[in-house]
Amino acid sequence: MITALDISTSALVAQRTRLNAISSNIANLSTQRDENGELTPYQARHVIFQADESVQMPGGAVGVKVASVETSTHEPIYRHQPNHPLAIKEGKWKDYVAYPAVNLNTEFVDALEATRAYEANVGVIEVTKNMALQTLRIVG
Amino acid sequence: MLPGLFQSTTIPALDQLAQFTHARHAVLAGNVANIDTPGYRSRDLSVDAFQSRLKDLLETSREPSAGESEGLDSLTAQMTKSAAGGGYDEALSQVRDSMQQILYHDDSDKNMEHQVAEINKNQMLHNLAVTLMSSQFRLLQQAISERV
Repeated sequence: MITALDISTSALVAQRTRLNAISSNIANLSTQRDENGELTPYQARHVIFQADESVQMPGGAVGVKVASVETSTHEPIYRHQPNHPLAIKEGKWKDYVAYPAVNLNTEFVDALEATRAYEANVGVIEVTKNMALQTLRIVG
Repeated sequence: MLPGLFQSTTIPALDQLAQFTHARHAVLAGNVANIDTPGYRSRDLSVDAFQSRLKDLLETSREPSAGESEGLDSLTAQMTKSAAGGGYDEALSQVRDSMQQILYHDDSDKNMEHQVAEINKNQMLHNLAVTLMSSQFRLLQQAISERV
């Protein structure tokens, strides 16, 4: 029963990491330079989950862990802004400005899902704690 | 005679468990207090190490030649000393693998959820020890008052 607490906790950590990535994506909605100052639009980060065998119960229930944080390779969105200081000077996208391909709708739905998943796991932790308390009532 | 009365029950072992969970709570509370401290690494008192040491000591104290279980008294004191002295790489104050997280840029491994979960588990263990101990005292009380 105590392991059930570990499994729910691993999910809490995973969902929090996911929510961090989502907030990063929304915060960088129109970021045009990368962390080195190069002119590359921000690429969305996606957190990949993996079943974690190291947190497991005899019944076969396993925890979850963050396998990796992947960077999207999606094409940037080009907007026609000829007078923009960062407008592309030549080629196919002349007079266009590159913006990150972050979809606000997707990100917000993901954020909602991560929040609800976090809440659900907190709920399971409450149930586990109540079960332990009930066991104590038999003993006492 | 009175020590003999208590030694024949599980009260000394439960007392050690309550002391241990109390000490461990302090260590875990320290982790939460330092959640934003740069360079801070989580500390813990190992429950497994405590329980195997307790088991060994109980076995030796049950032998008729051993008499008083003097080893029991110092168990938690030894463990907390090793944790407080900063030597938390010792066997009794290991941090479990599942609690060791990725390191952040400030060289700390903050993980609030794990700490809160451990505090909850520790509290359950403490409640168990105290509940069992009070039921033992109730039994003794009934025996003394000669009531059924």
